[in-house]
Amino acid sequence: MEQVAIKEELSKMLGQEKVLTENLDLMYYSYDSSFLTKLKPATPDAVVFPRSTEDVQQVMKFAWNNNINIIPRGAGTGETGGCIAIEGGIVMDLSTWSDIEEIDAMNMQVIVRPGVIHADLNNELAKYNLFFPPDPGSSKMCTIGGMVANNASGLRAVKYWSTEPYILGLEVVMPNGEVITTGGMKARTIKNVSGINLTKLMVGSEGILGIITRIRIRCIPKPSARGIAMAVFDNLDDAPATVLEVYQAGILPSGIEILDSSAIHAVNDFKPEINLPNAEAILLFEVDGNPPSVEYEGQVIKEVAGKRAREVEWSTDPVRMTQLWEGRSVTATAAARVRPDGTRIFAGEDISIPISRVADTLRAIRSLGKKYGIQIVNYGHIGDGNVHSAPVINPENPEEVERVLKLVHEIHLLAIEMGGTTTGEHGVGAVRRSYAELEHGLAVEYMKRIKKAFDPHGIMNPGKVF
Amino acid sequence: MEFKELPPVKEQIMKCVRCGKCRSVCPVFAEVGNETAAPRGHVFMVQMLRDGKVEPDKAVYDKLSACLMCETCSVNCPSGIDVHELNAAARSYIYEKNPSIAKEFIFDTMWTNPGFLKASTHFMGGLQKLGLQKIARDMGLTRILPGDLPEAEKILTNIPTKSAKTCLPEINKTVGPKKYTIGYFLGCATDLLSPEVAKATIDVLTRNGCEVIIPPGIKCCGLPHIANGKMDTARKLAAHNIKLFNSYNFDYVITDCASCSAALSRKNMEFLFKGLNIEDQAYDFSSRVMDLTSFLINVIDIQIPEVKYDKKVKVTYHDPCHLANAQGITREPRELLKRIPGIEFIEMNNANSCCGGSGTYSVTHYKMSMKILDKKMDNVMETGADKLVTCCPSCMMQLKYGVRRHNWKCQVVHPVVLVSECYQNALIEQGENR
Repeated sequence: MEQVAIKEELSKMLGQEKVLTENLDLMYYSYDSSFLTKLKPATPDAVVFPRSTEDVQQVMKFAWNNNINIIPRGAGTGETGGCIAIEGGIVMDLSTWSDIEEIDAMNMQVIVRPGVIHADLNNELAKYNLFFPPDPGSSKMCTIGGMVANNASGLRAVKYWSTEPYILGLEVVMPNGEVITTGGMKARTIKNVSGINLTKLMVGSEGILGIITRIRIRCIPKPSARGIAMAVFDNLDDAPATVLEVYQAGILPSGIEILDSSAIHAVNDFKPEINLPNAEAILLFEVDGNPPSVEYEGQVIKEVAGKRAREVEWSTDPVRMTQLWEGRSVTATAAARVRPDGTRIFAGEDISIPISRVADTLRAIRSLGKKYGIQIVNYGHIGDGNVHSAPVINPENPEEVERVLKLVHEIHLLAIEMGGTTTGEHGVGAVRRSYAELEHGLAVEYMKRIKKAFDPHGIMNPGKVF
Repeated sequence: MEFKELPPVKEQIMKCVRCGKCRSVCPVFAEVGNETAAPRGHVFMVQMLRDGKVEPDKAVYDKLSACLMCETCSVNCPSGIDVHELNAAARSYIYEKNPSIAKEFIFDTMWTNPGFLKASTHFMGGLQKLGLQKIARDMGLTRILPGDLPEAEKILTNIPTKSAKTCLPEINKTVGPKKYTIGYFLGCATDLLSPEVAKATIDVLTRNGCEVIIPPGIKCCGLPHIANGKMDTARKLAAHNIKLFNSYNFDYVITDCASCSAALSRKNMEFLFKGLNIEDQAYDFSSRVMDLTSFLINVIDIQIPEVKYDKKVKVTYHDPCHLANAQGITREPRELLKRIPGIEFIEMNNANSCCGGSGTYSVTHYKMSMKILDKKMDNVMETGADKLVTCCPSCMMQLKYGVRRHNWKCQVVHPVVLVSECYQNALIEQGENR
């Protein structure tokens, strides 16, 4: 179908205010936060802004009948090109469909539409002393729909895991326009093993199976206390070893973060007043719970970490906690500013490896950086083995771009070689699909069959995942 | 300087990783809700302009000019991008390619000539009394003024019949021993729309050891020109003011207008003049420039006289974007208010969110401006304040309209006016007459 006709039909169907059709407007939907779309932006044929399940159904039926690609999009904060119309089609911007439909505090559940911002949801839930624990760095701008579609997590995945365990049920508009509800969307229960778990299948499916239009989320009581421990290491190997020893001591912190020497230098260059100790690695432990348990766990961490660390500090004082955590808070920013004529890029940024291999992996990444002559700032969620590497380049220098793409490829291969995966929480999208066979082997064939069963026309977000 | 060679264009576009943090803080994006209004979208579009992927035409200008230039995105950008500077540079580039007669008249002729601007404002004041909408239409004024004037007319407050400059002498001697010689940068809006602020500024400064000189021939600070795609004119205005003020030997150059102090700041001087001959003179000038509240707190450490009061007055404070975002000044105005006897200070929610005025934005983008204003007013009204204080005459105009629009009983006032009142009341209490 011609682009002009698509635009006319959509405008008739939804009304002008829910459709973008001007070429200039559409250009703004050619990017997300991936390095891929910095290099190769891809403009969609139209953008729609549904505000009801019926709106989504209408667009889906139209796309189904005319074989037009549909690309769901949240806030466009992803780093994989997942919400980009790389093969053309209609982008469905769900980011402003942001109704919190029901807070069932008694049953500790909430129903939201996909565009609710993560931080906004938690601000609302806080009124009921509840929270939705997955904690992405993009909390203030990312949408719950995007989190579900990518099975996002973040700093607190150590204790609270990713989005998936909290999703009780979904309403999904299928590629043919039919609406299904999965799991506990109807049943208001926390436990539910009735039927094949389509909820689990949809979470993390990155928009290739259907459009998630309604989400029932399980919330949990908000912890009343928090504490932070900082441990400083002269030997990189002691950092992951300490993480494992803390677990062995029976403690499960809510988050364990690592800054290696590259990140420590970047932070100190960016904000000298933070003055992080010069070291091979710094670990930051966050503990939450009730006040006595937090204090107990903090003391155990201090004792265990003290065996290997040069220095350990534990605090429950809010001001001191902010100071201790500040280095981690500004790491991403510091990485972006480490080079005046360059910036960090989001590529090869999300590998996940066994905790026992973190030190080896960080050393290997440093070697790769030297090999390709590219500065890399390493930080991440060591508590679950998720390392964020930030290559710093001038993205407008083609020669540097060529080098960094080779580097990124090697980082991804390294992750698999270490017994890990190319992505811990950001997703596959368009940028990591080429590793699907290597990571999953024959399972990819079964993924494709599932995709075919849901989307026989292949119109849902093509060019992604595998 | 060529558009592509301008420092922000050359150095900052590539720094945007499009993380989207700017989406969470932009007041315009909060209303529009699509990517065309996101600050990262503006950075992207400036890149497209630079790379020749889009034409420098009105359609692109309209997209870019939807931005308030409130700088909230710039101060929140993890990559340190001055989004507003990129946007301003792009607007100027598009204007160079598409000269507009209407804006040439307003920003190159009317707004560069203090006498003409004054005459025009008073002419508007006269029209206002008669109902500007009809007359403006009859005279075709709506065609030469930017934006949706007929609706925006409502925002204009009662224009005073006498400007500050006509009431105030050039040299204002200190009351008591002299400590500082101050050059008072009397901005257009304070001069023409809020002369009472200028009088209060002179009053308070002269009572605190300052001889205050208003150099004849001050021109606009240039901020409206930057926002409206007239960077060259802004440079000419700034160059004039730099030479004028540098010809004196002022200890400080003080302004009571947040927009003026932002326009005269080192940061903005770098934006306008980096790499040009006048650069060092500009930095010398800006090193003396200080916002009035910062001067009163940090330099003077003002002690306001104790005066009697029956009952405490509830006061809340709105942070002007050009003070809080552009200069990081948030503590000093609050500290000044807290030093005034008889004030109960109430912090409003989101005090640092834009009021939607943003200089000429309320005229060029009336409807959007009103949506943003209404949000601000919700926060103001929630405090139950008797007085709404702010340090920017443009914000004052917008907030006064907000108060009228919501039928709210609240006085919109500059803090220096409240300080001056204390001095006046103290004098009355002492039985003195000036």
